[in-house]
Amino acid sequence: MTNEELWQAALGEIELSISKANFITWFKNTSILSSANGCVIISVPNGFAKEWLENKYNVYILRALKNIQSDIKEVSCAIETSHSNIKKNNIDAIRPPKKISSPISFSEKNHDISQENNLNLKYTFENFIVGGSNELARAACYAVSQSLGRIYNPLFIYGGVGLGKTHLLQSIGNEILKHNPYKKVKYITSERFTNELIDSIRTQKINEFKEHYQKIDLLIIDDVQFLSGKEKTQEEFFHIFNYLYQLNKQIVLSSDRAPKAIPTLEERLRSRFEGGMIADVSKADLETRMAILNKKVSDENISISIEALSFIAQNITHNIRELEGALNRVFVSAQLSNKELDLPYVKSLLSELIASGKKKNITHKHIIDTVSSFYDIEPNDLIIKNRKKEIAKPRQIAMYLMRSELQYSYPGIGEKLGGRDHTTAIHAYDKISKELEYNEKLISEINTLKERLYAII
Amino acid sequence: MKLICTQENFKKAIFNSERMVSKQNTLPILNNILFETEKGRLKLSATNLEIGVSVQIGAKIEREGKITIPAKLISNFTNNLPQGENISLEVVDQNLKIQSGLAKAIIKGLPADDFPLLPKKSTEFILTISSLKLKNIIAKVITCVAFNETRQELTGINLILKENEIIFASTDSFRLVEDKLKLEDKNINSEYVAFINKKDTLIIPANTFVELARIIAGDIDQEVKIAIEDGQIFFELDGVQIVSRLINGKYPEYKHIMPTEFKTNIVGEKNIIQGAIKISSIFANGKTNEIVLKIDADNKKTLIEARSVESGENSSEVVVDIVGASQEIVFNSKYLLDGINTITTSKVAILMNSESSPVAIKEINEKSGEIVEDYTYIVMPIKS
Repeated sequence: MTNEELWQAALGEIELSISKANFITWFKNTSILSSANGCVIISVPNGFAKEWLENKYNVYILRALKNIQSDIKEVSCAIETSHSNIKKNNIDAIRPPKKISSPISFSEKNHDISQENNLNLKYTFENFIVGGSNELARAACYAVSQSLGRIYNPLFIYGGVGLGKTHLLQSIGNEILKHNPYKKVKYITSERFTNELIDSIRTQKINEFKEHYQKIDLLIIDDVQFLSGKEKTQEEFFHIFNYLYQLNKQIVLSSDRAPKAIPTLEERLRSRFEGGMIADVSKADLETRMAILNKKVSDENISISIEALSFIAQNITHNIRELEGALNRVFVSAQLSNKELDLPYVKSLLSELIASGKKKNITHKHIIDTVSSFYDIEPNDLIIKNRKKEIAKPRQIAMYLMRSELQYSYPGIGEKLGGRDHTTAIHAYDKISKELEYNEKLISEINTLKERLYAII
Repeated sequence: MKLICTQENFKKAIFNSERMVSKQNTLPILNNILFETEKGRLKLSATNLEIGVSVQIGAKIEREGKITIPAKLISNFTNNLPQGENISLEVVDQNLKIQSGLAKAIIKGLPADDFPLLPKKSTEFILTISSLKLKNIIAKVITCVAFNETRQELTGINLILKENEIIFASTDSFRLVEDKLKLEDKNINSEYVAFINKKDTLIIPANTFVELARIIAGDIDQEVKIAIEDGQIFFELDGVQIVSRLINGKYPEYKHIMPTEFKTNIVGEKNIIQGAIKISSIFANGKTNEIVLKIDADNKKTLIEARSVESGENSSEVVVDIVGASQEIVFNSKYLLDGINTITTSKVAILMNSESSPVAIKEINEKSGEIVEDYTYIVMPIKS
């Protein structure tokens, strides 16, 4: 029996003989320090407990211990003084108080992001996959990084979400710093630019704000479309822009659409944006997507079959971030369930993800075709007047799917299925919805239908 | 128990022990003061199981005995007694009968056997310190103690025992205060040197020092005797014994952050600087209390400024002697003011290096006009 077990057993017995309050007060944080030759030393947290246990409770303690180990003859107490349970931390005795309004608290946690320029070191030209869709943009960015401010100033990159704009922009900054760490590079989103501006107006430090930006060699502003409608910010930005531009400092901008298409962007800014080089990144083609996946697979040592990989590349088309997300998802769930990453597994995992991305391409015709072939009836049967149960049920399911998957209006649904009244459609939708709550068979039918529906395209 | 004592003695004994009772505890008896006769004297004891106090006063004892009485009740009763009359106490069953002049009371008590035993000192006193000097030091070092801190060691005051001095220090990790007490032969006994060879640093709970400072009365200098044992410390002065636990743990090293050289020194009247900081703190931002100390060495000007969106702005020029380079340093006004408040001399020195390194506040010797080295208050500027 260890000392700990012995003490726990003894405490159990002592607890019965004294009141709860006394037990908690005097026996909290006690333990057996040593036990040898019938003499037990109990470690206590303070002198009060020592006095009390030795003088008042020694009888209880000795009796309890004797009942467990009969050879114990003597009990004494010692005050705990070791620091064994205290971690030795070498925190400095004093540190500067924190500034509450400090905006840097987030970036402090992420060591990949360097404090001053906000650049994330993981974005470089080396790990940017070049394809037909982004060739031009990449070439322009690379050229800018090689001769700062002399060609393509300002450089304007635009394209949809998740296609690599930020990656390209940050690559320029990282490339510059790699060759010349003393250059002042600043990457900032237009939203943070606005916030900083507002902050500086609030604390009446607008001049310091301007001075800060006017010292920069390379200014990268991401997502400038958010400047639209913010007149004061646009004006300040215009001045900073002009100042930097005249000093031949490089400015790089990105947006989700071309300067022309940004609403409420002041004319003088628009024309300046268009004055340099404009390059777009469009959706990556299949080969590029495959290349991106392949790179990611080899970078992270994921084992996945070629078919599964090309399935992902074929099905997730319009967003690189989603593409990587899909790969991460299959990888993580395969790790958790210990399964191999082959085509059927990946298909089943991603069906939902792919489906959600595809909804837009489905029409009522697909639903009618899928439903009729599933129930082995003619598509026309759903449209013509026929109240046979074999026909009516599939028709209601088709109505339900049109409503739930395509968000068609009830009158629209009625019209698509042979000019029926909208109340018929409402009834059908409600009926199926209710039945889905308890009918397992129906649930699996609907799921199969959905799968087939999304697999068509 | 049956006895008679003077009202003055009795009131003092109650005053010294009543605050020690615990406010929230599972044991109701901890709200009580123990009254017992001991060697022809009356002894009052109170404890919250972290600190224990016992006070002995002279009394004419007619019958020995003991009882515990709720501290609040007896304190309220005695505080409102008319001056002068002696107090007689008598225990009847579980009650204490008190009579003073025309006022009488019977207070219900709890059996004395259930009252915690105060730890008894088993070693000799190794230190004897002037009570007024100690009170003075406590008033200074208590400023920087961290309350409700997760790091328990910061809730106490660190003592480093050396052969010729004791260094008192406390910090809440934003500022730090250090004061030194010089020791002479009369302060220590032969055991002291042997003791500090074994253990030369301890952490005393801030509360213990607060209570000790309260018990050190008025302006009469007395001797405070100190004994240190495993996990506990004993103080004795003027018939009052205090026993307290020590805080287990390692106090953070701070020597290396104490600056020894400074680029800029300013010396000025404490009252003027204190006033300027107080005014600025009114205008400072409510959350960070930011105020700026601007020292323009070229134009011999020193400004204390604050500005906030809600209240406006303020700038006070203070007349100080500037030695060294210009500085512009942002402070939390509370931390800076706390430091100035601890200064007991009429002039104060503020010593700086840069806007991001520790700033020291020191006292100026009234006669020689030189900086007093023993006492240092360190505050970290706010990083901008």
